[in-house]
Amino acid sequence: MPALRELQHALGAAIDDAGLTASVASLFRGARDAAPARLAVYRGNVFGNSINALASVYPIVRKIVGTEFFEATAREYARAHPSTSGDLNKYGGALADFLAEFPPTRDLPYLPDVARMEWLAHRAYYAADSMPYDPSRLAGLPPERWTDLRPALSPACALLASHWPVARIWTVHQDDYSDAFDVDLDAGPDRVLVHRPRWKPEVRALAAGDYRFLASALEGANLGDALEAASAEDTGFDPAAALARWVEAGVIVDLAEPGEMRS
Amino acid sequence: MRAISNPRVPRPRLGAGVGLRAPHYRDFLESRPPVDWVEVHSENYFGEGGYDRHVLERVRASYPLSLHGVGLGLGSVEGLDDRHLAKLKHLVDATEPALVSEHLCWGAAAGRHFNDLLPLAYTREALALVADRVARVQDVLGRHILVENLSTYLEFAASEMTEGEFIAELVRRTGCGVLLDVNNLFVNQINQGADALATMRAIPAGCVEEIHLAGHLVTEHCLIDHHGDRVADAVWRLYDAALERFGAVPSLIEWDTDIPELDVLLDEAAKARARMEVLHARAA
Repeated sequence: MPALRELQHALGAAIDDAGLTASVASLFRGARDAAPARLAVYRGNVFGNSINALASVYPIVRKIVGTEFFEATAREYARAHPSTSGDLNKYGGALADFLAEFPPTRDLPYLPDVARMEWLAHRAYYAADSMPYDPSRLAGLPPERWTDLRPALSPACALLASHWPVARIWTVHQDDYSDAFDVDLDAGPDRVLVHRPRWKPEVRALAAGDYRFLASALEGANLGDALEAASAEDTGFDPAAALARWVEAGVIVDLAEPGEMRS
Repeated sequence: MRAISNPRVPRPRLGAGVGLRAPHYRDFLESRPPVDWVEVHSENYFGEGGYDRHVLERVRASYPLSLHGVGLGLGSVEGLDDRHLAKLKHLVDATEPALVSEHLCWGAAAGRHFNDLLPLAYTREALALVADRVARVQDVLGRHILVENLSTYLEFAASEMTEGEFIAELVRRTGCGVLLDVNNLFVNQINQGADALATMRAIPAGCVEEIHLAGHLVTEHCLIDHHGDRVADAVWRLYDAALERFGAVPSLIEWDTDIPELDVLLDEAAKARARMEVLHARAA
């Protein structure tokens, strides 16, 4: 009698590869000619679940390429990158790199960055909630100590730099967007912040200075170094206004004193 | 037959519940729909924060909650995912559910997850494996779990016992409870010729602590357990038989495909409640 491990490998292999159907049919009870249709039910469920998971993470990619093309692409992705978690919400993080190499989407060079942006939004959706930083805490510290503070961003925040106008692409594909549907693909590059002001992930285009400032903070720089790096890159960068803006937006959620435990 | 068997463990009478799904979040946030309890798929709330967890916190303040796992794969030979179990533990601790359940299935091999409920061969080897896993899950969670019978499209010829016998022995070895899915019994009766009433008779009367009811899809080749329709008449008749044997255990309407207005689910839940009340009236 085959061991359980062999049976699971055999059924799994035949779900992934319909060509193996005949070689596993004898493992099952009932008429052998029933096995192909029954295996096809499992195959349909497995690939259907993967495709649905990808459709839920990548609604803009799906709108851009169309439902039929998306499903065919998702099926190819599911073959190349099968799920490795029992939690399907973890599935699909390599779609951007897949699209960059996938011949049928090569004439849409901005598509991988759209997928990267949507994956960050998907992660933001499930990220831990955070409390806003109370600016009066800053007022309680002598200004000469401010530069040593370490800014912490909300766990929902992520940055993306793209050659393409991805913020505009995000905006015009939102379900509640009804203005002119025009995207100038030559308008890029875009630097964007993906964040979650409350429950819904949003994408916000950033000036060069703000991008450098938040990127430095994500890399662990202190406030002084992060503001200086931003000013060096963008002469229009206003450090005080930027700090107030990102605290107010709930993007900076802590300014920790050196040695203080990061919340 | 005696009308009601004494439950092994005293438990609150939860009555009839529905699966809480995203299209109905607003109904539950803005009003108090007349259901006795709700169940969610555990994995959908594995995120550390965000809207789903927020809604779950709000809803569980008003309703008893059941966590129903679809991704642990108790019977996967190649390992139970410790990270998955840790996330489930975190969710259980945070939400204090009345019931926690998993499926009698496997779902991963060689690092590949199928994200589907795949059938086990009901062998002594599988029984030893699943009993170990159930014991470990109960140990980690610090509580008793329910294990649900599966709907299947294929049955391994290697099976040495029926699903009912397998479940009865699993209960005896681990002390776990049973989540009896009546639609799954019916699906297997049609798909595999597995006698639904015999499966129920094989399962000890005191160990069924929850019942699932759902719709199935009739296709040319087999019934598909798609949770996308009202409960079929034949399944309601099996439900009556289940109530006779197992008592008025908490019963849930599941709907996962083409989810309709909440009223349709409430209507189905009311039917389940009415059948439980008939049983009570007869027992009184």
